Amino acid sequence: MTPPLPTSQSPLPARAERELIAPPPLDQSLISFDNVSRFYGEVLGVNRVTLSIPPGITSLVGPNGSGKTTLMNLMTALVRPTRGTIRILGMTPDQPEKLFQILGYATQFDAFPKGLTGFQFLYSFLRLFGKSHAECETLAMKAIERVNLTGSAHRKVAGYSKGMRQRIKLAQALAHNPRVLVLDEPLNGLDPLVRAETIALFRELANEGRHVIVSSHILHEVDMISDQVILLSNGYVVAEGKISGVRSEIREHPMQVLIRCNRPAALAARVFDEDSVVEARLHADGRGLLVKTRDADKFYKLLNHIALNGIDIETVAPADENVNSVYEYLIGEESQK
Amino acid sequence: MNWHMWLAQIRGVVRLEMKKTFFSRRGFWVYFLALAPVLLFAGRAVDLMSNRGYLHEVANAHPVSTAALEAIHTGMSRQEVEASLGEPYSRRIVDTPRRAQMWSSYTDGTSTYTFYFNNDELRGISTRDRGNFQEDSLIYATFFQFFYLRLLIFFGCVGIFVNLFRGEMINKSLHFYLLAPVRREVLVGGKFVAGVIASVVIFCSSTALQLWMFQIPFGSAATFQNLHAASYLGVTALACLGYGSVFLAAGLLAVNPLIPAAAVMLWEAANLFLPAALKKISIIFYLQSLCPVIAPPEKDINPILSLLINSAEAPPAILSILGLLIVTALLLAWSAIRARKLEINYSSD
Repeated sequence: MTPPLPTSQSPLPARAERELIAPPPLDQSLISFDNVSRFYGEVLGVNRVTLSIPPGITSLVGPNGSGKTTLMNLMTALVRPTRGTIRILGMTPDQPEKLFQILGYATQFDAFPKGLTGFQFLYSFLRLFGKSHAECETLAMKAIERVNLTGSAHRKVAGYSKGMRQRIKLAQALAHNPRVLVLDEPLNGLDPLVRAETIALFRELANEGRHVIVSSHILHEVDMISDQVILLSNGYVVAEGKISGVRSEIREHPMQVLIRCNRPAALAARVFDEDSVVEARLHADGRGLLVKTRDADKFYKLLNHIALNGIDIETVAPADENVNSVYEYLIGEESQK
Repeated sequence: MNWHMWLAQIRGVVRLEMKKTFFSRRGFWVYFLALAPVLLFAGRAVDLMSNRGYLHEVANAHPVSTAALEAIHTGMSRQEVEASLGEPYSRRIVDTPRRAQMWSSYTDGTSTYTFYFNNDELRGISTRDRGNFQEDSLIYATFFQFFYLRLLIFFGCVGIFVNLFRGEMINKSLHFYLLAPVRREVLVGGKFVAGVIASVVIFCSSTALQLWMFQIPFGSAATFQNLHAASYLGVTALACLGYGSVFLAAGLLAVNPLIPAAAVMLWEAANLFLPAALKKISIIFYLQSLCPVIAPPEKDINPILSLLINSAEAPPAILSILGLLIVTALLLAWSAIRARKLEINYSSD
């Protein structure tokens, strides 16, 4: 169930807040794509995409041209589907006056209205919501504080660094306190400290029950921040869901498990008796064993049994249950074909 | 219908657009278009005033009465003319073996009379009355209808209104508006209002300054009423409204809006020759019928072309204004429909 949004930051009138606080029906808490395709003339953008995105951080992962930005633009009606239907928390994207009350989008486009300061940029944007002068000022300053740009709020955006422009775009996306945030490559150009702060902000927003949809090339960051991932390749969704779930679906690649124990050689001899184990390799430091198995559940049960019979097992961890490996298995190999 | 919200949003769009429209470097040439006729009329005012001073000086040095000048007729000899008027203040002689030609100029201080003699016989008289208010009003009307409306305001509106959408596509900044909870119809309305404000301020200021410059040589003889200043200003504003809607639509229609702009220009230029029903589907038809001084083109036009001219009776002013507003509203409605289908695909733009 979607947790309620924090009322202290909400500029919405009381009735609207009550509507937000009431638990929405299931389809009103999801972003859904139903058999959505988009072609740019002869060129495929995305094809036959069917998805349901729950609240939390969802990362869109895929190589350049895989359809990440198209998917985001489809969600925000910057482009229309050639066929299929999209619903954002129950509403269709072709009603911008309703959609953008609940959705904020930080695009990859790096152009801003000319001559504006960071504060004026946000203020002007908020004025388009029909909000009052005072309300716009308050919301703009809050958003600027949230992305740590207070010191540069009254400088011209044209003079901002790449990282600052990224942050002001993020502030624009979240200034009106939306329930859905769509962020295209939001970590690009950020220095490590700001990157960490921004990731923490995403987590905070997701914990408030919002949808935070992020596209990224940086797989270890995706791994770190995502509740679920959507892997795209050549316009198709090749996998979606939690990383562990996606990994377990990839049957052609045996699961890799790294076991730290006191007698790895003895453990190797034991696990080889099992049919599902296809490979066991001693770790270079002599205190670990990397096992490849076709049936992870069965293998974990076996390990429990072994642990009770004389081998001292310190840790057991999946070695390829991460976005990097999943990406490599699903997309890396495909692109090499 | 949330009119209050829409009005607030239109104000928000207008606030942002005003800065861009008035101070955009790309749009500075529009100021030159508006300023050019002001400079033209300022130059004319200076020239007329100095010419008038010169004629007064000449008239004092060579005093001739208007009645004496009007009594001169062709067939008189040079001696007769000079006996009646005295020595001309200017004389030009071209002698060839077959004939002797001479042009003698006189002035009564207001008009210049030039007499053409061939072998000492007066063959022609030309009168130049520089600074005649009635004649100059016709000249201004012709300039206003055939130069200012059809070219300067036309291209000024191209510069202002086409950029409202197409310019933002080129700058890759249109998404700023499309990511706000603004109905596309409201966005079109807001941008149009901003464009109209900018163009009306620029071109009505130009019209006012032109009329001021035009009036200076005539002093108190030219009043606000007999200059038809209110009508000219009104027609200028309506031209901005009408052409603005055309070029807002053009900016939404074509990747290169100069193509529809050229097509509209041809259509407007051909208006004179179109059948009466088609004339009404244009901006210039309504604008010309609202102009306070009609400047008929027939007398200066090629005789063959004049056969093709199709006169449609000018509608009453109220119908002209209504017709123009209806054309504008239809174009805005069409633009709103286009805007609803508008997608951001900067790479293909």
